[in-house]
Amino acid sequence: MTAVALTPRPARFRPARFRPARFRTVRALRLEFKHSPVVRVLPILAALFYVNAYRTAAGFPPTWTVRASVITGSNLVFFSVIAAGIAAWVATREGRRQTGDLLATTARVAWARQATVLAATAFWMVLAYLAGVAVIYIQTARQATWGGPPLWPVAVGVMGVAASCAVGFTCGTLLPGRFTAPIVAVAVFAAWFAGVAAANNVNNASNGMKGTSALLVAATGRPQNIDVGVYYHVPPDVSIAQVMLMGGVLLGLLGLLPAARVPGVRGLSFAAGRRLTVVAAAGVACGVAASATAFALAGTARYSFTTGWEIPALLDAADDQPVPYTLDCTGSVFKVCIHPAFEPYLGAMSAPLQLAAAEIAGLPGAPVRAEMTTGNTLPAVAGTTSVYDYSTEQEGFGDASFWATPAIARTADWEQGVQEDFITWFVSGPAEQDSPGPTPAEEAVAIALLAKIGAPVPQYPQFSQPGTQPGASSASSTSGASATQSGASAAQITAAASGFESLSSAARHAWLAANLAGLRSGTITLAQLP
Amino acid sequence: MNIELTDVTRTFGRNKAVDGVSLAVGPGVFGLLGPNGAGKTSLLRMLATVLPPSSGTVRLLDKDPGRPAARTQIRRRLGYLPQNLGYYPSFTVAEFVEYFALLKEMPAHQVPKAVAAAVEQVDLGPRAKARLRTLSGGMLRRVGIAQAIVNGPDLLLLDEPTAGLDPEQRVAFRTLIRDLGQRATVVVSTHLVEDVGTACSEVALMAEGKVVFRGTPDELTAQGEGHEIGDSPLERGYGAVLAASRKQVAA
Repeated sequence: MTAVALTPRPARFRPARFRPARFRTVRALRLEFKHSPVVRVLPILAALFYVNAYRTAAGFPPTWTVRASVITGSNLVFFSVIAAGIAAWVATREGRRQTGDLLATTARVAWARQATVLAATAFWMVLAYLAGVAVIYIQTARQATWGGPPLWPVAVGVMGVAASCAVGFTCGTLLPGRFTAPIVAVAVFAAWFAGVAAANNVNNASNGMKGTSALLVAATGRPQNIDVGVYYHVPPDVSIAQVMLMGGVLLGLLGLLPAARVPGVRGLSFAAGRRLTVVAAAGVACGVAASATAFALAGTARYSFTTGWEIPALLDAADDQPVPYTLDCTGSVFKVCIHPAFEPYLGAMSAPLQLAAAEIAGLPGAPVRAEMTTGNTLPAVAGTTSVYDYSTEQEGFGDASFWATPAIARTADWEQGVQEDFITWFVSGPAEQDSPGPTPAEEAVAIALLAKIGAPVPQYPQFSQPGTQPGASSASSTSGASATQSGASAAQITAAASGFESLSSAARHAWLAANLAGLRSGTITLAQLP
Repeated sequence: MNIELTDVTRTFGRNKAVDGVSLAVGPGVFGLLGPNGAGKTSLLRMLATVLPPSSGTVRLLDKDPGRPAARTQIRRRLGYLPQNLGYYPSFTVAEFVEYFALLKEMPAHQVPKAVAAAVEQVDLGPRAKARLRTLSGGMLRRVGIAQAIVNGPDLLLLDEPTAGLDPEQRVAFRTLIRDLGQRATVVVSTHLVEDVGTACSEVALMAEGKVVFRGTPDELTAQGEGHEIGDSPLERGYGAVLAASRKQVAA
């Protein structure tokens, strides 16, 4: 039997867009792209992105790892919820539009047709997600001063959105119904909520925590440690496991699609071909294997304060090596240096430190430089050179810290906190790990020096105890060990500080030059202060 | 023979929709008549490879649709217009027809011309870029016919194709299926006997899931001699055969 000639009269309609394409799939995809419902929700996605992800990222410091945490955090959560809901809605299209009979008579297998619809939905969702990532990364690129955009979080996010589409689509295909889409969206949101809560619990636990929940840590909002990705590489271990897990889910669900019934066909229907059944079963098996492997790998994950989560089987030794960097410095007499990743904070650090450094300039042991070091190691040069070490861990005061943007960091709280740390460090000597804290004499001198530069009384233990009144005896104080041991009250320390502050600048310098060593060693008491 | 049915039945639960139908149909326009619930649509859905038979054998275009590979080959050469045409409202006429041309696995380079030709054949050329949601019921029916004929099918199955068409379009449609029936097998399921009388070379009448008459429209007309119910000779023949069938069942 040959084909029927269908053109008894010349065709008038020849749209220009009917250009021959090499592949039918490409042409079918083009139609699905054009008519995807995702296009209609793009404005909603954009609004949610702005409110949820963009503003969150903008409130974080301009370091790549921290900003990138948003794209696998809140950004991924709301994208995957919407992706799952829309995919479920799209999957029920054949039932809603009653095209099941018509489509069942076409040569293309249902699985391939559905995969095209799923691909178009996932394409738009991933494209929208990547647009969001691009916005965050462009914003970060304009503000960041060091490093480059991490790509593994992007891979995790893309796979997460695609897997969410597959979850929604499979639910919509296998369980078509009017309420399938909203139920799937709510279920995915609840799953994220529960997962993030579980991961937060893991993050808050001690180092003995289990690793399987590390699969969810990307969604917990931000890295535990701001230095991760600055001083050390972020190992891609968990990202690899996450991509494997979600890739497995995606593959497995694609394998389930051929099990779907033709909408509108009741009772006995034609079975799928053997080859398709075998391919589908293989897809499901591979998907389950990939996800199970990822889960097992995550079970061996351990937390490292410097690099975050590590999975031994996937760990590259190079990831444990520090990232080389050159400090950015400012100032002539007293240099303030900062890690290049935090260069935007240099002004906020330098201004208060310069003021404090000027007050003690020329004294023996007075630092000539302030350097940023990673917060998780002891200062490398503590006690041997006149370098003041500070870190992102130390410099957090009030509402401001290195977790804030540089503009927010430059507050009175921040500046006074920086000065307090600096002066206390100088008066007490470079801190030892087991230091009992400043003596009352050291506290009085520090208070006096800080007062001269306009900083308030530091938050030493006996000053911050609400039940301790000036003049009360130290015996009644339950605060810091040093105060208790020395028998000095807050009032006594304040009085001594006032006396020291009232000295002329030259007299203070002269006294400190002569007695700093004794002050630091604890041999000078409160009563011996001038 | 493009259609060979041997003792085909199809049941839905306890309901036997098609009951032991045997048919052999070659090229030409074949009319399938019958009252509502006679089993026409179920039979057509089996011919369209939507449903497998509960029992009996079906061969279409000399192939067994029970085998996946053969079923795919049949579907490439099949056109089907269901009774209730589902459609995607946001698609344009041309896009909808193109979509089905692609799903019927037409060679990609033939699709543009075939789509344009099919759209012209149902006289929707000027509305080719109109979205389906903007079309009337009759126009949608013509879109359904266009998607059915876009691949130049060797087996064309049309379930109530003229429902909703205006008289002028109905005449044009009859001309169209007569043209198509020159080489292909066109099965038209309808309860409008005038469609059958003017377009079909052969007709079968179904009642209670069985084929109770098979012959030419003239032979069906002849059955109506002496029968008074019906506006036209063909309708009287149709009524006479149905009445005889009911009497036989009652007996």
